[in-house]
Amino acid sequence: MSGGRAVPPASGALRYDHVVLDNGLTVIGELNPNAVSVAAGYFVRTGARDESGDVAGVSHFLEHMMFKGTDRRTAADINRSFDELGAQYNAFTSEERTVYYGAVLPERLRQLLDLLSDMMRPALRQEDFDVEKNVILEEIAMYEDRPHFRVFELAGNGFWNGHPLGHSVLGGQDSIRALTREQMLAYFERRYVPSNLVLAVAGAYDWDAVTGDVAALTQGWRPVDAGRELVAPRPAAGEGRTRDDALSRVHAAVFAPGLAVTDERRYVAAVLANALGDDSGSRLFWALVDKGLADSASLGHEASDGAGAYVGYVSAAPERADEVLGVYRRVLGEAQEDGLGAEEWHRSQRKLATSLTLRAETPLGRLVSLGVGEQTLGRYQSVQEVVDAVMGTTVDDGHALLSQRPFDALYVHRLEPAGSTEEATTP
Amino acid sequence: MSSERSSDTIHEHRFDNGLWLLFEPMPWLPTLSATLLMPFGSGTDPTGMGGSGTVLHDWIQRGAGGLDSRAHSDALEGLGVRRGGSAGREAASLGVSFLADELASVLPLVASMASEPRLEEAEFAPARELAQEELASLADAPTQRLFNALMERFLDGGPGRSPYGTREGLAALTPATVREDAGRRLGPRGAILAMAGGAEWQQVLEVAGRAFGSWQGDAMPLAEPALRPPGTQHVRADSAQTQIGVAFPAPAPGDPEVYTYDLALHVLSGSMGARLFTEVREKRGLVYSVGASYRALHGFGYTLGYAGTTPDRADETLRVLLAEIRRLTEGAEADEFERALTGVLSSVVMQGESSGARASRLASDALLQGRTRTLGEIRREVEAVDLERLNGYLQEHPFPEATVVTLGPKPVSQEAAA
Repeated sequence: MSGGRAVPPASGALRYDHVVLDNGLTVIGELNPNAVSVAAGYFVRTGARDESGDVAGVSHFLEHMMFKGTDRRTAADINRSFDELGAQYNAFTSEERTVYYGAVLPERLRQLLDLLSDMMRPALRQEDFDVEKNVILEEIAMYEDRPHFRVFELAGNGFWNGHPLGHSVLGGQDSIRALTREQMLAYFERRYVPSNLVLAVAGAYDWDAVTGDVAALTQGWRPVDAGRELVAPRPAAGEGRTRDDALSRVHAAVFAPGLAVTDERRYVAAVLANALGDDSGSRLFWALVDKGLADSASLGHEASDGAGAYVGYVSAAPERADEVLGVYRRVLGEAQEDGLGAEEWHRSQRKLATSLTLRAETPLGRLVSLGVGEQTLGRYQSVQEVVDAVMGTTVDDGHALLSQRPFDALYVHRLEPAGSTEEATTP
Repeated sequence: MSSERSSDTIHEHRFDNGLWLLFEPMPWLPTLSATLLMPFGSGTDPTGMGGSGTVLHDWIQRGAGGLDSRAHSDALEGLGVRRGGSAGREAASLGVSFLADELASVLPLVASMASEPRLEEAEFAPARELAQEELASLADAPTQRLFNALMERFLDGGPGRSPYGTREGLAALTPATVREDAGRRLGPRGAILAMAGGAEWQQVLEVAGRAFGSWQGDAMPLAEPALRPPGTQHVRADSAQTQIGVAFPAPAPGDPEVYTYDLALHVLSGSMGARLFTEVREKRGLVYSVGASYRALHGFGYTLGYAGTTPDRADETLRVLLAEIRRLTEGAEADEFERALTGVLSSVVMQGESSGARASRLASDALLQGRTRTLGEIRREVEAVDLERLNGYLQEHPFPEATVVTLGPKPVSQEAAA
């Protein structure tokens, strides 16, 4: 074991704890002695971007399989154990990572850590694999009925232009049907190694007990290296269109080049995107939603490992789609040409700061940013530090970002029925 | 549990104009959340004007008091306020969360939307157009469509009508009809302001009194839900999955057995270890999503069940879903009961950590039951239920026949829905 208590209490009563176990597993905590619950989660630095084409969707399928049993537990045992702990729990997979988490009352933390740690070494039984494959196929079918989701996959794929960040998290019907248990096992063994995992704990806990328990629970884990190849992005600009006559609206996703998660200006990009595309009071809101031209119009900034993007969405009636997308582009273009106002910047900062503070009300709300922060930056960031960073940005910082003209390189993908103003093509 | 973190106090006050103020102190938080519930929903939309409440809810947010739409919005956002809210079946809500220091500045801005909305002519057309856009966008949201169809089939008018309104209803609205509607339904009588977070009661009471004191007007009583006879219905849709929804009556909010029922539903569908998830997804791999949950209107409770599956598996999915609901009448096992109890108690405690969750829960309890319960009271009522009481209840109250609505490319078989 190396490390220890690295950083003194950062704000109020909170304390940051950090240790790297001998097997390479990083364990971190943010102690809030007043919390009535505690949340814990394993953050695995693996996702769709780490998949080769022949195993597209394996990260997400594997996430499901992690709940299907270990050498010590069946799938039913795992579900029952979470219930016996009264846990609020779940898991998610993105392009960047896979996360398994739960929140319990503090006296049950030890059992939660035992359960989560055991799950990190799954049995991956063939019969469970076969049944769960059907569940994954149903999940893919479910998202086929959600054009808002589909259009992001289509647009992301076009924008990233071959870069792994454009990979589909769910994979396709074909890749999932063809996937074998052996391929999944090989992926698991390569990616779920201790050095590629962070265990984060937030809320009320005893650090010595946590580190003692986790060291014992993960004793058999072998230290192996798992990297991630960071490929330089070559994002595409332009338009893509997909026709689906079952739809009655045009759904469009908009991408533009943004900043990587390690870029110091990422908070500037976040404030900028929020000023332009928050769901209330933003420029896109006033130009489109307030006027009743579109039922939804948004823009945000997603900072990822080694690359980032501004990501937006708009939905409109087919006969209005050209007009609406024209307004959308004009709003971004005008911001680039004329800049933003100081008051406008200030409102965006304050809204973001409130959101960050609200999310940290509960240990479960705090957990994800704690774990992701550690995994992406390799260091602790208190909520106060992030709030200060957001509030420290200036409109001039925003103008400096806009002077690089990110919105000149928009990629827009439309998912639309027939009858949109211009003829759509089926790819 | 540390005592300074377990608030077991709810302060309340009724102002002369009828507004009911509720506040739960959470002194450890730097934040404050408020939910304003105004008792106008689709259940009492004027005849032939389905969607009037939704347009009114939007219109009151487009300028109030001395501020036009833009200035009002900028003022709230300049204070860092995060906003939410929706137009529902019984009530319309405005939700805000902010840093507690800003209380005295934020609350008057919230109050003015209810007490002195400008309802300017020029803002009416975009408010209605937005409602029309939202109604049109439902066509691409099959699950939402299913639940709207299910509620319309399950209830006879009133709150069974969708808050999205109808095309004809929205088209029939004019500034004059919606203003008239506001005069009838947008009043402090029956309205609830629920707050939770890091402030002191005296301050909350004073600021709310100043902000909302001038609000005048009457309100209509909530519509009484009326049930249609149970039955089945299919809505044709060109979707990848068949959406399956079931609905049946349950104890009313405030019923002495409502927590017994809640525990029974937890055995059925409270978690991934519960019966529905185990039987429909884990054992058979029929769905990604399946569940059942308790819902309530004023004086009326009901249960909604849901599953989504590809069309060829819809019959089997519905059959297993209904069979599991019926099987629950035979009672729960001791270990299932223990897990459900642990889950309910644990979620009660964790609910107390979020100001937004507490404010909206206080508001809905007040609306649905005409009273609120502290988390401590809820915990004691849940703990008073044991296995014997649960199984006795289930035996004496078998689940009523369900209304079944499906949405997808083809209907389910009669046999599966029976």
